[in-house]
Amino acid sequence: MNKIIQFKNIVKSFDDQVILKGITLDIYENEFVTLLGPSGCGKTTLLRILGGFLEADSGEVIFDNENIADLPPYKRELNTVFQKYALFPHMNVFDNIAFGLKIKKMSDDVIRQKVTRMLKLVNLEGYEDRKIDQLSGGQQQRIAIARALVNEPKVLLLDEPLGALDLKLRKEMQLELKKIQQEVGITFIYVTHDQEEALTMSDKIVVMREGEIEQVGTPVDIYNEPVNEYVANFIGESNVIDGVMKEDYLVSFDDKDYTCVDHGFKENEEVDIVIRPEDIEIVGRGRGVLNGKVKSMLFKGVHNEIIVETARGSHVEVTMTIYNKEPIFNEDAGEYISANNFYVDVQDFDELTDDDIIARADAQAWDAETEEYVGFSNVTYEELVGEDTYPVTFSTSKGTSITIQMIGVKQRYIQDEKKRIGIAAFDFFKTLDEIEESQALDTDLKTWADAVSWDLDTDEAIEVRNVDYDFEIEDLKPGKYKVSFSTVGREFKIHTTKSSEVDKNVGLSFGPEDIHVMEKMGF
Amino acid sequence: MNNYRRLIQPYVLWISIFLVLPMILIVLYAFTTGGNDVLTFHFTLDNFARFFNDNVFIGVLIDSFRIALITTILCIIIGYPAAYFISKMQVKSNAFFILLITLPMWINMLVRTYAWVGILSDNGVINNILSFFGLGPLHMIHTEFAIVLGMVYNFLPFMILQIHASLSKMDPSLVEASSDLGASKFETFKRIIFPLSLPGVISGITLVFLPATSSFFIQRLLGGGTILVGNLIENYFVTTGDWNFGSAISLIMAVIIMLSMYFTNKLDKERGED
Amino acid sequence: MKEKYGSKVFLGLLMVFFYLPILYMIVFSFNGSKSLSKFTGFSLRWYEQMFANKSMIEAIYYTVVIAILATIISTVVGTLASIGLSKSKKVLKTYVEQINNLPIMNPEIVTAIGLMLFFTTMKIEKGFITLLLAHIAFCIPYVMLSVSPRLRRLDPNLANAAMDLGATPSYALRKVIIPQLMPGIVAGALIAFTMSFDDFIISYFVSGNGIKNISILVYTMSKRINPSINALSTIIVVIITIVLIVVNLMSMKKTKTNKTGQRIGLAVVAACVGLTIFGLQKLRSNTGGDFDPIETYGCDTLNVFNAGEYIGEDTIAKFEKKYNVHVNYSLFASNEEMYTKLLSGESYDVLVPSDYMIEQLMQEDRLQKINLDHIKNYDALSPMVTGLDYDPKNEYSIPYFWGSVGIMYNKNKVSQEDLETEGFGILQNPKYKGRIFVYDSERDSFMMALKHLGYSMNTSNLDEINEAYEWLRDIRANDPVFVTDEVIDGMINGEKDIAVVYSGDATYIQMENPDMAYYEPLEGTNIWSDAMVIPKNSACPLLAEAYIDFNLDETIAYENSEYVGYTSSVQSVMDDLIAGEFKDLPSYLPRSGYDKDEIFKYNPKIRKVISELWVKVKAK
Repeated sequence: MNKIIQFKNIVKSFDDQVILKGITLDIYENEFVTLLGPSGCGKTTLLRILGGFLEADSGEVIFDNENIADLPPYKRELNTVFQKYALFPHMNVFDNIAFGLKIKKMSDDVIRQKVTRMLKLVNLEGYEDRKIDQLSGGQQQRIAIARALVNEPKVLLLDEPLGALDLKLRKEMQLELKKIQQEVGITFIYVTHDQEEALTMSDKIVVMREGEIEQVGTPVDIYNEPVNEYVANFIGESNVIDGVMKEDYLVSFDDKDYTCVDHGFKENEEVDIVIRPEDIEIVGRGRGVLNGKVKSMLFKGVHNEIIVETARGSHVEVTMTIYNKEPIFNEDAGEYISANNFYVDVQDFDELTDDDIIARADAQAWDAETEEYVGFSNVTYEELVGEDTYPVTFSTSKGTSITIQMIGVKQRYIQDEKKRIGIAAFDFFKTLDEIEESQALDTDLKTWADAVSWDLDTDEAIEVRNVDYDFEIEDLKPGKYKVSFSTVGREFKIHTTKSSEVDKNVGLSFGPEDIHVMEKMGF
Repeated sequence: MNNYRRLIQPYVLWISIFLVLPMILIVLYAFTTGGNDVLTFHFTLDNFARFFNDNVFIGVLIDSFRIALITTILCIIIGYPAAYFISKMQVKSNAFFILLITLPMWINMLVRTYAWVGILSDNGVINNILSFFGLGPLHMIHTEFAIVLGMVYNFLPFMILQIHASLSKMDPSLVEASSDLGASKFETFKRIIFPLSLPGVISGITLVFLPATSSFFIQRLLGGGTILVGNLIENYFVTTGDWNFGSAISLIMAVIIMLSMYFTNKLDKERGED
Repeated sequence: MKEKYGSKVFLGLLMVFFYLPILYMIVFSFNGSKSLSKFTGFSLRWYEQMFANKSMIEAIYYTVVIAILATIISTVVGTLASIGLSKSKKVLKTYVEQINNLPIMNPEIVTAIGLMLFFTTMKIEKGFITLLLAHIAFCIPYVMLSVSPRLRRLDPNLANAAMDLGATPSYALRKVIIPQLMPGIVAGALIAFTMSFDDFIISYFVSGNGIKNISILVYTMSKRINPSINALSTIIVVIITIVLIVVNLMSMKKTKTNKTGQRIGLAVVAACVGLTIFGLQKLRSNTGGDFDPIETYGCDTLNVFNAGEYIGEDTIAKFEKKYNVHVNYSLFASNEEMYTKLLSGESYDVLVPSDYMIEQLMQEDRLQKINLDHIKNYDALSPMVTGLDYDPKNEYSIPYFWGSVGIMYNKNKVSQEDLETEGFGILQNPKYKGRIFVYDSERDSFMMALKHLGYSMNTSNLDEINEAYEWLRDIRANDPVFVTDEVIDGMINGEKDIAVVYSGDATYIQMENPDMAYYEPLEGTNIWSDAMVIPKNSACPLLAEAYIDFNLDETIAYENSEYVGYTSSVQSVMDDLIAGEFKDLPSYLPRSGYDKDEIFKYNPKIRKVISELWVKVKAK
């Protein structure tokens, strides 16, 4: 096959922002090439440079062995299908398709013949006299393709042409585009951010990221052998796991070694491991290579998506004390008063103000008749020294008062050295009413216990994902309950036609050929 | 949302009183004669007969439309390239030029027009400059040239703004598509940009042609007593006090203008349907 | 690159075209003399005069107040109507949209006369209210045109969502819908303000009773355009430029939040409203004397309707000060215009019409008798102007100015002999082709034609009138320019060699340009007299009489006559001026007692014929 287009070290920047960082890429005749990447990765910019609508800052664009960098668009032997089609609204279908031919001053009967043939190709025979705004999105799309193809370009550029269509139409058009490409036998360069589209149609996929090419390959290569985590994540769904390559054909993650088919890494090199969800099978506990617990199951039509947790995340457990609390009524003053016991970190003693104490104790006083809040005139407690229980008395100017316990503790705080994660939470007091009134209990529990987690190295916050407790809200009575908070553990996403149940203990099975080891991405 | 439907009711009443009723009154006056009292209603076509049987009136009408047409064409010829160049500029200078074009409209039309008297007159600025170079004098004031110049000066901004609006609304990918399909810059302009900006040109024509036909102070200040339809109407309303005939002239003018606007719009639509 | 250069040159030239008149206006606002074509030296006199000129300050005030009120009302109404319209049934929608198009798609003059007919028919007195209503009427469609497209782009469920969350419809309107429409509303308000601020045609037809905006003032200042207008416009240019710079600077910083922007907007509106109220107070109470006019005269406002530039600079101010009253001083361009305005229901206290018009008003019983006991200066009047045929006992009219119609010519370019032999016929002399100004007055033009043909200017013989028409058509071969008061500036600058002028204007022109001279043809001419009268519907005849008497006061009459150049009706003033200021200017003392000279008589039938024929003379 001959190279039809060569990009050589293309650099392009807008307003000091580098969009393309030296792209070098060869495209061959009759190929269906897809430039794939998220928005902002530079794929459209590259296409527009090829189309002649943008000028590269440096680098060469070779077309048919000729540098076309200085050629205006209308002199390039390639045509473009634009993102929103860019059909000329003041012309009918025929005139739109005939536009390029009329510019070339072809005779009328040749034009008519060619346009008719094109309409047939895109399955819109008899639409010549339609106005553009009378066409559906899919039809407009086809006209845009016909308008470009009728000029018999050597290369057709398509800039996210299916983006505006709905799912069903998009799938249809994908097949049709592929069919057209095979029929006319020219190079298609297709830009999209939709990996499925890319996998369906392309002969070759170019995965781009932040102005650079990550991987070039056939859809099968890219899917099965992604070069790194980025490509793996972008193409299809996958489980990407940090691991260590112990030696050739032996990789290790979560304290366990697995044989694999990969080799050629350094000994004990840190690697990313990809296991595709459809390559994992759910089996009975103990029967697979890993054991775990089903966290969730989603019905996805052709398959179920099951999440299995094989290792728990970092976790911390606290005590929730539930009690009945009635506000105290002071008949003389006609006032109610209420407050909760609470825990406080001894480290916070120095900074503790009366207002903090009122807030933490949730102390309130109100007039029995008007129900208006009454302020506290006095908050008294003894000197705070170390871990101990301190009685705190709140009183109003009319002499209504309540005494609660402030418990100074060292905060429960767990450092998971291996995962380099810290997690912490407080014991707390709540009334039954407050639990029952909660609309989103897990979130409220996290708030009440002040559960937080962070990366030990970077100090960045980590989500406290799971809240576990073994009580039913309906059965709650005053007393003490355990609540545990944990971060995300090792979870595997599995696509299977089988089903399972949440909380069921299962085994996971995959073979050495299902494990794909990749180099860690450099940043 | 139907709650808001009744918001329109007072306005319907308002326009019926302040926009529809006045038009009905013009028609009523146009088809009656006698005193300026509607109550003595007596249908007649005399006012129209009087107008159309008189070559002088027909001549005035033709003059008015001829001058308005010349003005409109000049506004397109000058306004189109101006709007085109401005729309091709960077956002900042684009906005700056649009501002520069809108700004003069804030200064009283009559004052601006009167300034031209001093510029164009036989001893005015231009002739002073010309005589400095030993040229001239060029007689400009009180000529049709001066009237057309005054009208172009006053109405050109409307044309530019309309065309500019339609040009900047245009999807730039249409221009790219045309270029991609092999059309040179000129071809692209001819086949894509110009046809697509026509709606702007049409509304520009409306905004220029309308006031140009009915203007009466521009020719009064610059034209040295030239009589156009606007002056006729003013004359019959303000000086002669023959409101019936004045109404008839207004009606004739309004109908002709509406017809010509209707055909202009229709022409544009038909052309789009080809 | 070449293309870019070309486009820059083109736009540059265009900007020169747009800004040349404005530059010109700014330069001449600092001109030392009254001329609008010769710059004679730097001076600030026009700025001083602008602030001293009450009718100009009033015009600015009304322009601004009307623009602000019309903008606020039309923006509110237009926005609400747009919202209502978007929810209306199709039939109603089409109706409203079509009607809204009327003021946009119709020639402005048609809208104007429609509204004028409407107000007259409904017997709504023309003035501030009619002006405001008309402005609101033509502004609303523009606001709607600007708001509606935004409304169409709005999610129709927005208000529903707000109401679903418990908002009342009006709360949803205020807090959800209107904020979404804000850019459209602001744009609409700006258009409305511009339209109202700059409007002339509609205002011209629907205003009255002394209420005028800047445009009307400029148009009716037909006698000698006053360069103060240039000063005013220069100030407007400066203000707009400052506002734009401030706005641009603010948007450049972009640190200001929306809230502060709103607050600034509110502050601006509040400042405007405050200013207008302050202005109103100031306008109404500028005298402040102890004298109570209501006790003596039963009123404190006087509506005077006079020709443009036909009074001394300070006369009105002096009268207001002396009597502690307010004068609404309006201008007309011709007797006929005055008559039409009177007929359309406007009320005035003092008019200054010409002889034949007074005759007509008397015949139609539109004037009230003047109590000569209240005119203490009556005896000062010249016998030349009292007891004239149309009002032999001066029961209805007190003479103001008088004069003749004659030919102003350039002594160096026009042969005295041609003048004397041809009289008005010199207008047809091909020697002077293209060198002629003809005063755009039907009456005086037919007068000179009839006089030249040897007929009476008061003829009712249609054949004679047709002959005069043909004679006037024949003048056109000489390419005359028909002008009104531009003739003054034109002759001062020597633009033409021959002009038909009134004697008073001739006096003024000769003062400025000594090359010019005045000639009264021997064929006879029009000797006219303008007098002050009190219309029947005057609400304030006693004060009107005081005003008339005030104008006959020797000092005041002297100032009036000296300023405008017309011949005073007061004998002593006439004598003083011809002996002093206007020495050797025979135009100041027109010929009297010549048997071929005539005074116009009222003839309603002939008036219409002449009026229409005159239009035909001017038309091509």
